[in-house]
Amino acid sequence: MVSAISVAADVLMLGALYSLIAIGFTLIFGVGGVLNLAHGGIITVGAYSAYAVEAASGSIVAGAIAAAVVSAAFALALYRGLISKIRHNPVTVLILTLVVAIITEQAALVVFGGQELVVRQLLEGTVTVFGESIQRNRILVFVLSWVLIGGLFYFVNRTRTGKAILATSMSDKGAALVGIDSEYVYTYTWVLAGALAGLAGLFLASFQTASPLMGRNPLLLSFAIVVLGGLGSIRGSVIGAYLISFLDQITIRFISERLAGVSALIVLVLVLLIRPKGLFGRELVEE
Amino acid sequence: MGTTFAGCLGGGNGNGDGGIPETITIGALGPAESPMGDSILKSAELAVSEINDDGGIAGADVEVSTKDTMDQPGTTREVYQELTTGENVDATVGIFGSESLLSIMENIAQQSTVHLTAGAATPEAPQLVADDYETNKYWFRVGPINSVFLGESQLQFAADRFEAMGWERVAFLAEDYKWTEPITSDIQQRLEEEAGIEVTGVRRIAEGTEDFTPIYDQLESSDIDGAYTALAHIGTNALVQWAQQQRPFGFGGIHVPTQLPSFYQATEGAAISTFSQTTATANSEVTEKTVPYANAYQEAYDSLPVYTGYSAYDAVYMLKEAIEATESVDSDDLVTELEGMSYTGTGGNIEFFGPDGRFPHDVRYGPDYAQGVYFQWQTDGEGNGRQRVLWPDDLEETEYQSPPWA
Repeated sequence: MVSAISVAADVLMLGALYSLIAIGFTLIFGVGGVLNLAHGGIITVGAYSAYAVEAASGSIVAGAIAAAVVSAAFALALYRGLISKIRHNPVTVLILTLVVAIITEQAALVVFGGQELVVRQLLEGTVTVFGESIQRNRILVFVLSWVLIGGLFYFVNRTRTGKAILATSMSDKGAALVGIDSEYVYTYTWVLAGALAGLAGLFLASFQTASPLMGRNPLLLSFAIVVLGGLGSIRGSVIGAYLISFLDQITIRFISERLAGVSALIVLVLVLLIRPKGLFGRELVEE
Repeated sequence: MGTTFAGCLGGGNGNGDGGIPETITIGALGPAESPMGDSILKSAELAVSEINDDGGIAGADVEVSTKDTMDQPGTTREVYQELTTGENVDATVGIFGSESLLSIMENIAQQSTVHLTAGAATPEAPQLVADDYETNKYWFRVGPINSVFLGESQLQFAADRFEAMGWERVAFLAEDYKWTEPITSDIQQRLEEEAGIEVTGVRRIAEGTEDFTPIYDQLESSDIDGAYTALAHIGTNALVQWAQQQRPFGFGGIHVPTQLPSFYQATEGAAISTFSQTTATANSEVTEKTVPYANAYQEAYDSLPVYTGYSAYDAVYMLKEAIEATESVDSDDLVTELEGMSYTGTGGNIEFFGPDGRFPHDVRYGPDYAQGVYFQWQTDGEGNGRQRVLWPDDLEETEYQSPPWA
């Protein structure tokens, strides 16, 4: 029988990674009120950027920086080039971001081929915790994810730009009345969401491998997490991520690994039917 | 790619009058973005360029038209139609996925165009020939040996080597694809009865599985010596996570990605100590043609072929022999000729089961025919990965080594 400790460790670590995966999706929805279906595509961009830079430089730290920077630039280009012009039309945004996601997949396929690529772990080897061997890399990803989430909370609650983002997410009109430039806030949010998604892509690839379609499951996961946590709520996303991680691991281990990811979709449907605003509704105010 | 009209249109694709056209066109199919498909397409091109340098087939120039199946049954059907109706090729070779192959069996019959499979292992194809010979007789398989034989081969390897490897308790991991069905149907019982191995279970892992951690947690807690595999499409993720998590058991069996000569480097060494059945390795002298082919491929493409390449290359040469022997590209003539052919290729002595054989038109398996080899990734003095043959005895280069962390 698999020990409870190894299950708990997986739930904890995957929950942190899922939080990071979903948080950018939440930010963009919270602030701009649009669903970014290219979110999984940005995750893929992050993973491949890290792979390419690590292969060229031999440094995974350089790879991590590339994952954040290239993905942020990609998100910036996506927002300024396409989305900003049509952001008041959610359906057009959906269609365009979906097309961008598909183009990203095809580009990865053409440039890097269809084979899964190994992205070097940030830390090699394993450590023994309570008699269970756990990869150092997973522990590091857990820590880094929490550092990034904590940083985001601090940024939103304590800095001028962060507060402007918060204000815009609460009320477009109110933010405009007090002189916040909403276009600036939107741009900032996309860049931030892009950088976080890119790092999530690197972490995900270091857990598994990088492949052209690797962004699809994270996108579905983000949907489920964000709906469960409440659209636009950062705190809700983190809690939602842990709930989904827990449900998924329990399902996989006690029912069948074939159902990986299915629990997330079931939760998505149930929440939409029973409590459409999720656990934390549309709020972004963190007490 | 040029289009060639092979004589008059009638009697399917072959020439009604059974002559040799000025140009013979062979279609090659495979998923171009995967090494398995890439090797098919390049090996067909390599064989054709060698043949043209050597005077063509019965004096005729040979062209090859390569098509990307994208490993999707739907796309495979489209490009197959393009080759046979649009470009009117004289024969086709290749295809990697069994699902893709089965999607065009009907089309092969309709087009009455000889197809030599390289890559797909399902026994459902020869079953179709057995069920309706006249309709499906245009299908042949040059390699690999079919899944039933792959299972036999895994049994044989276990009986011959597991004791020395220290593999007493194993779990069997197969991906849930068509080609593994014949393997997992009775592998547990046979490993236990015929090879004396304790099998903790047979798992069929779903397509799209990305996180193998829960599976490995369970395998580890059941205290196995090795995970015996039948993996292709989802093999890379499975292998990389096994290595990164430094699981305390060995890993190998049939593992298509690890057959890739560049795989050790591509996985930054994660492939160390994994082993796999394959048609041949670049330096194993399965026949006198194996190493020269691998060298020619290396020369032409600056890389080494995977298992599909050996069979695709052999398939083109077998077509050459058949066309020259019958002095015709007529499909029915070629079928008759191929049925009786015994051809020493890169992958062994290729002979097909007859219409009434166990697997009609499938490649025969055994030490006198095509048998394949088992190799393991080991490191040389400089720390580079090398594929070294473990089995069969006459080609053995080295003994099995446990993973460095186990």
